[in-house]
Amino acid sequence: MKDSRRLVLERLKEHAITGNTSYPIYSHPNSGIIDPRRSFQSVIESVGGECRFVADLETARKLVASSEVFVSAKQLCSYVKEIVEGNFDAEAKATAHECRDVDLTIVRGELGVAENGAVWVNADPLRHRALLFLSGNLILVIESRDIVPDMESAYARLDFTRLRSGYLISGPSKTADIEQCLVIGAHGAKSLLVLVVG
Amino acid sequence: MTSHARLAAAFLKQEERAHWHDQALWYVREKRDRMASSVPDWEALRETAQAIKRHALANMPRYLEEFERNAAARGAIVHYALDAAEHNRIVLDILKRRNARLVAKSKSMLSEECGLNEFLAQNGIEVVETDLAERIIQLAGERPSHIVLPSIHIRKEEVGDIFHEHLGTEKGESDPTRLTRAARTHLREKFLAAEVGISGVNFAVAETGAVVICTNEGNADLGNSLPDLYIAVMGVEKVIPKTKDLSVFLRLLSRSATGQPISAYTSHLLGPRPGQEMHIVIVDNGRSEILRRERFYKAAFCIRCGACLNTCPVYRRSGGHSYNYVIPGPIGTILAMHRDLKKFKDMAYASTLCGSCTAVCPVKIDIHRQIVLWRNEVVKAGYLGKAKSAALKTVTLGMKSTRLFRTGGWAMRKLLRILPPFVFNNRLTIWGKSRDLPRMPARSFRAEFRAYSRSKTNLSESGMNREGRS
Repeated sequence: MKDSRRLVLERLKEHAITGNTSYPIYSHPNSGIIDPRRSFQSVIESVGGECRFVADLETARKLVASSEVFVSAKQLCSYVKEIVEGNFDAEAKATAHECRDVDLTIVRGELGVAENGAVWVNADPLRHRALLFLSGNLILVIESRDIVPDMESAYARLDFTRLRSGYLISGPSKTADIEQCLVIGAHGAKSLLVLVVG
Repeated sequence: MTSHARLAAAFLKQEERAHWHDQALWYVREKRDRMASSVPDWEALRETAQAIKRHALANMPRYLEEFERNAAARGAIVHYALDAAEHNRIVLDILKRRNARLVAKSKSMLSEECGLNEFLAQNGIEVVETDLAERIIQLAGERPSHIVLPSIHIRKEEVGDIFHEHLGTEKGESDPTRLTRAARTHLREKFLAAEVGISGVNFAVAETGAVVICTNEGNADLGNSLPDLYIAVMGVEKVIPKTKDLSVFLRLLSRSATGQPISAYTSHLLGPRPGQEMHIVIVDNGRSEILRRERFYKAAFCIRCGACLNTCPVYRRSGGHSYNYVIPGPIGTILAMHRDLKKFKDMAYASTLCGSCTAVCPVKIDIHRQIVLWRNEVVKAGYLGKAKSAALKTVTLGMKSTRLFRTGGWAMRKLLRILPPFVFNNRLTIWGKSRDLPRMPARSFRAEFRAYSRSKTNLSESGMNREGRS
């Protein structure tokens, strides 16, 4: 094994391509994003999710309380207590496997990307990151000021120095593997609601 | 080994399926076009992506070491494998040490290339593919026919039959939603029971040691978060220098692959989760050889989006299984040639050289040009075959001599009109298989052009043709 490491690196060094191989200086902001909030919402809706703008947490609370995923959820795990109390405490479970029947999870996202509707979720505060994918439905909450126009500005804001895992989530899980017919709800969440507060 | 042409002919016998295959992939290509044109800086992004790849590949040892250092600092265990056999052995050793019997696996073309599933099965380990398409073909006992849409060659009724047999769905069920739900239930149990998750890698960031994986279904994400043991396998070329570079590649990848703005899930993993053991296996398996060949090294830039497959007129009409290499289509062709020129030589001819692959490639690999250059290599190595060689030599002779060329043209114009069609459309002439030869014009192009020039001169002299019409 030690030898393979040396051999692989040696071969790659020997065979390195030549010519102009300098690292490019670049910046490609997406100039097509005129209204980031609008773009963010319309992309999420185009990929099968839902995006709602709410003025404050109180409005968010009412909106969630009247939503179908909330009403029908037996096990509800909340990391945003200001919006929903929840009745399932994933933090108290020793293994992620015990979260297998969670119907709805609500967590905060750190930012939203207007050009592709993705929400960045830092999974480190969660004891079980698998919850994000086990949960039958998912609600992500972000602040309005945290919507950035494009991927370049998103990565410029993210800090990886102490991060262990982060996920960009854009819409509910989906597949088109059977005859290219889009089916929402493959392995992960069957629905995704993004609440933009403020 | 059966040639591409014969395998393609077999695929085309099922006309309805072949037509559907063609249309379905063209639809994906059109989605890609809409997505690409919605990003104002698209062409600049492609340029930048290529420059980053070129730089990363030229400095791979440095970046791999940086990646390894950072990933190890986060608690991941990094392995290197020279070839497929070593890759498989490393994975098996890890599984054995942990007494793992059931693997929840996510799509990885590298593991297909290495034959990992077969190898693990031989060693008594059950591997369950968790991507829906991969699971379908695994149950059907087939191999992927596309690198992003592995079961694109299978119709929903057939999926129904496969699921009826293996998952106990109702006989005759062919509704995609109900079949997908059945697979979700079946695979959820596997996820919960598996002691280990294995997945491929889309990007490995040197700067942070992050492994980045893109899926739509959420299967890789369950596989890397749920089990206490997780193994990521990657080719050496997956390493990129900086986090910022992800913004370039992620913007290109899904748009090019399936016409999505981004995949539903993009996992960024920096070491294992608490309580988990994480391994990263970095594999060469011939990649360093690709870099050695100056005219052909760009094949190593590939980010496996599959856009060149979707757009290729030959791939769309012949199906992925007509290519003998594990990766089909245009990119598969230029990768296969590195692997074994003699074995895969016919793939170099499974192309019209239309250049569509090159036009859509997000990292601007000159795919069709490389295919031409590989044809040179096939000829130089003497693998062309006697009949084709003789035919090409004859044509070369004719092309080199103006007199022979003119006489030949004259003779063909006459003969084609006089001789009965079976002389040209018979068993020996492949071109006549599904098309008739065109009707011969009375005059050669040269004569036609001379006449045209003369008439134009006459017209402009008389002042009738100021706008250049003829």
